[in-house]
Amino acid sequence: MDFFPVWLSLRVASLATLVTLGLGVPFAWLLARTRFRGRELLEGLVVLPLVLPPTVLGYYLLVLIGHQGPVGRVLRAAGIELAFTWRAAVLAACVGSIALLVKTAQAGFESVDRRLEDAARTLGRSEWSIFWVVTLPLASRAILAGTVLAFCRALGDFGITLMVAGNIPGRTQTLPLAIYDRVQAFRMGEANVLAAIAVLVMLVLLVGVGRLARVRY
Amino acid sequence: MLAVSVEKRLPGFTLDVSWAAGDAVVVLFGPSGAGKTLTLHCLAGLARPDRGRIVVNERVLFDSAAGVDLSPQARRLGYVFQGYALFPHLSVEANVAFGVRALARAARRRRVGEVLERLGLDGLRRRYPPELSGGQQQRVALGRALAPDPEVLLLDEPLSALDAPLRRQLREELARLIREWGKTAVLVTHDLGEAFQLGDRLVVYEAGRVVHTAPKAELLSRPASETVARLVGVRNIVRGTVVKTAPDRIEIAWRGQTVEAVNSLARPYAAAPGTPVAFFVRPEHVRLVRKDRPGPDPAHRMNLLSGMVVGELHQGTSWTLLFRVDGPGEPSQGAYDLEIEVPTLVYEMLDVARDRRWAVSMHRGALQVLPTA
Repeated sequence: MDFFPVWLSLRVASLATLVTLGLGVPFAWLLARTRFRGRELLEGLVVLPLVLPPTVLGYYLLVLIGHQGPVGRVLRAAGIELAFTWRAAVLAACVGSIALLVKTAQAGFESVDRRLEDAARTLGRSEWSIFWVVTLPLASRAILAGTVLAFCRALGDFGITLMVAGNIPGRTQTLPLAIYDRVQAFRMGEANVLAAIAVLVMLVLLVGVGRLARVRY
Repeated sequence: MLAVSVEKRLPGFTLDVSWAAGDAVVVLFGPSGAGKTLTLHCLAGLARPDRGRIVVNERVLFDSAAGVDLSPQARRLGYVFQGYALFPHLSVEANVAFGVRALARAARRRRVGEVLERLGLDGLRRRYPPELSGGQQQRVALGRALAPDPEVLLLDEPLSALDAPLRRQLREELARLIREWGKTAVLVTHDLGEAFQLGDRLVVYEAGRVVHTAPKAELLSRPASETVARLVGVRNIVRGTVVKTAPDRIEIAWRGQTVEAVNSLARPYAAAPGTPVAFFVRPEHVRLVRKDRPGPDPAHRMNLLSGMVVGELHQGTSWTLLFRVDGPGEPSQGAYDLEIEVPTLVYEMLDVARDRRWAVSMHRGALQVLPTA
């Protein structure tokens, strides 16, 4: 039996989660702690992927990064192929999952008592230091929970991935796509094993994070 | 030396206060929502006034005219927040060390050790704030604010997070700690007992304004106005009309009688006859006239009034009698005119429970006229 889709999915979801963390945490902080024009619009744009049909998202992404798309052309000029590669699968996973991280982390940042940050200010700490020593540690549980949710969502993405990365066995066929493929081909045994792996991985992660979230404070 | 003069407009509330103090402990006293905490925030740089000037020991922290606005980090003021705002994820030791990062490692350790020891927190170094009692949390908050050696200590309702019995005990401890550290302190409270026990000078707030600033001894005996008198819990504030004023005494028509009060020599009160005037007499200064003894000499100007006890409240060691003066019209305070406080022993001796008709006397020195500001 071919386990390539499992490894590919784990790799794609891990990379996507790293990218999501790097972009999502600062973004969540901005939404929680600052007021600027167009904030609501931006917030809406982040949440949109949660509710839009994956095909719609995938379609627009493809328009952007396809051979004729504005982003696609720039990347091709730089010698990077994006559409229908594993990189496009990472992009798809990111787009599908970032809302979960941003919203959870935002709620985490909002729940940090601002007086703690004020206290840190009166004690002479810089804003940068306050973020790292007070705000981030106190929001870390929420960020961790958001990260796990985002990872699971990334691991499970089907529609967006199919649209922008295709379903190329051995290259872009991720775990969910592979399950669909096996069922179509009536290879139920393989479909069962792959589906069980997906359930197991996600369950372990969700239970694990649930336990971590129960630590003091 | 502290000089604060700030103006800040918020939706539905305007803070416009100005006060100065050279005392050790200044208490900002007033009802909730009067702008006390906002003033502390302005002092600490956590809120920015629209206009004003804040000077601490000749250091200008804020001056809207000169464009000075130091950051909270640069102000070097210690702030004890309401509810303490301790860092829940840091140990007691790390909380106290939080503001002394600039010191070298060895100096930092020494300083933190010293603060922990002085506050009796030595045994709690490795504990976390959620595991501590209210009193211990208060000391950690104090230690954290004091460790960087601030110029002024700001305390926002430092006792409000505690239950009543503990509160009394910790009030004394806090008073002792503040004096021991010898810091100038600005303390916010809405509790009069707290204000009097902890403060040297009281700044009385109401609805975003300062209505009185005075050393605490002066505040109770000579409130600046009727408003202040009510805010500081003065009882028996009643209204009459001026009959005659002289440099040393004032005659007031009240409840169909004429009572006499001593005029203040420092701030003589002068008003045309017929002017409405408020005055108060402390409940313990109204005395029941014993029926088994000859009455007081009228020449002593004791303001003799007759009337009836119409209600009473047992306070434990004393009774509060609600007394209605004989006379035309409505009583001054609803169903009664005066509250009278008598020790339980006297209450029992005179058999007040059975005998309700009494004459009372008030020494004219006990009647305090309140300027209507």
